Amino acid sequence: MSELVIETAGLRKEFRGRRGTRVAVHDLDLAVPAGGVHGFLGPNGSGKTTTIRMLLGLVAPDSGDALITDRPYSALGRPLQTIGTMLDAGGLHPGRTGRQHLLIAAAQAKVPAGRVDDVLTEVDMTQAADRSIAGYSLGMRQRVALAAALVASPNILVLDEPANGLDPAGMHWLRQRIRAFADAGGAVLLSSHVLSDVQQIADDIVVMQAGRVVADTPLADVLHEQGGDLERFYLELTNAPSGVR
Amino acid sequence: MLRSELLKITTTTAPKIALGVGAGGLILTQLMSVSVLPALASGRMGAVPAELRDAIPSLDLVTSSGQLAALSPLGASGGSGSLGIAVIAIVLMGVLAGTSDYRFGGIVSSFLAQPNRVRVLLAKAGATGVAGLVTGALFAVVSTATLLGTLWFLGIPVAIDPIVIAAVLSRSLLAIACLTIVGLAVGILARSQLAGVLIMLGVLLLELVVQSITQLIVGGMPVWAQLLPLALTNTVIGTGESELPLPAAVAALLGLTVVALALAATALRRRDV
Repeated sequence: MSELVIETAGLRKEFRGRRGTRVAVHDLDLAVPAGGVHGFLGPNGSGKTTTIRMLLGLVAPDSGDALITDRPYSALGRPLQTIGTMLDAGGLHPGRTGRQHLLIAAAQAKVPAGRVDDVLTEVDMTQAADRSIAGYSLGMRQRVALAAALVASPNILVLDEPANGLDPAGMHWLRQRIRAFADAGGAVLLSSHVLSDVQQIADDIVVMQAGRVVADTPLADVLHEQGGDLERFYLELTNAPSGVR
Repeated sequence: MLRSELLKITTTTAPKIALGVGAGGLILTQLMSVSVLPALASGRMGAVPAELRDAIPSLDLVTSSGQLAALSPLGASGGSGSLGIAVIAIVLMGVLAGTSDYRFGGIVSSFLAQPNRVRVLLAKAGATGVAGLVTGALFAVVSTATLLGTLWFLGIPVAIDPIVIAAVLSRSLLAIACLTIVGLAVGILARSQLAGVLIMLGVLLLELVVQSITQLIVGGMPVWAQLLPLALTNTVIGTGESELPLPAAVAALLGLTVVALALAATALRRRDV
């Protein structure tokens, strides 16, 4: 069995509010091996984002462990060198330029500022690097966010809904980038609603429903059993009749 | 982390606007309080009848205490009992440094780069303190230049020892850096820009109200009233009168800053983002 880069054991998170307690993640056991693209699927509110945030130390779990390369995120010496992340809108301040955002990311990762030019080239944003982020399209913002995730040359990527708002060309570009990263030996945990995208690039999939893992399997097996129809498999597992692609 | 936090401050416009507004407001305040009113009162400017000149509320720039009051980088009218635009700009700069990361999601990248949140806070405090020092230096240049220019124009000799001037300006930098960091802590606690700004302005305005009422009731300023942020800042700068010993005021202002940071650190460590 290959080495695990992401592992959770008994991970649990409850949110307490006026209407009572809601369990977002139920005693989750998850194992992501090194290399490859691992699709992380589930409907809205299924616990994907909470799980990712617990992995990254942004949300404190009520119980259980979340490990990146056998250590909690907080124990990683230089975390950005180990794992790159793309969450939400990437934390882009509209008043900065793309280059300024990446210079900050480089300073946080303690890598030379010259690395910024490299990642700008990688995401094809050199021409627009000195323009204000306020004038960027959503696709350009996603590229800058991905560049920030890559700035410290990590070997693990965690991407939460990276295709949100992208046009077909942007999605195609993103798929290529993710696949190239994995083909170079990296591991990608890809949270997405876009099943067609996941189907094209994932090596295996984890499906969450109501805070629990309901499937963790190689994608090829699913496609073989379902006659190439990932959507049917997903809808059956999540009891979601519509609203997904 | 300090470098990235400095980059965050220098690559956004809000701190620059706060600095510009503060400096502009300070220039106007100083010109009015230090230059125009004393010149009107002395008859060197305008056509105010001699019998009315005594009624003009102006600093007596002939005395060392008057010159000292004019030296304050918070504005000559920024002493006890008033709230100058320079003070507002300083605390707003701190609040904005604390809230902009929350508003645009940059706090997540900070926590991902440095999972120890206290270290993130210390880096933010360091960067904000540097911004406060730069702001204080600019304000100090404005107040000193206005005072010296006015003294030259009115033909009044400088009555303050240069060492005293240096000491006042040095303490001003410390006080302004502390105020900026307190603003940062409030911003981090509030998270929302609007809430942070309102809290900070509310605290400062409330202090003025409390001081006024206390003076009316007690007839003076009890010690506790001198420990309020604005009074403390002015005592540390040392351009006005205060019964609080200077070392005690410095210690109290540093203590206030540390307490504010400790509260922010507690909130930051517990907070899910």
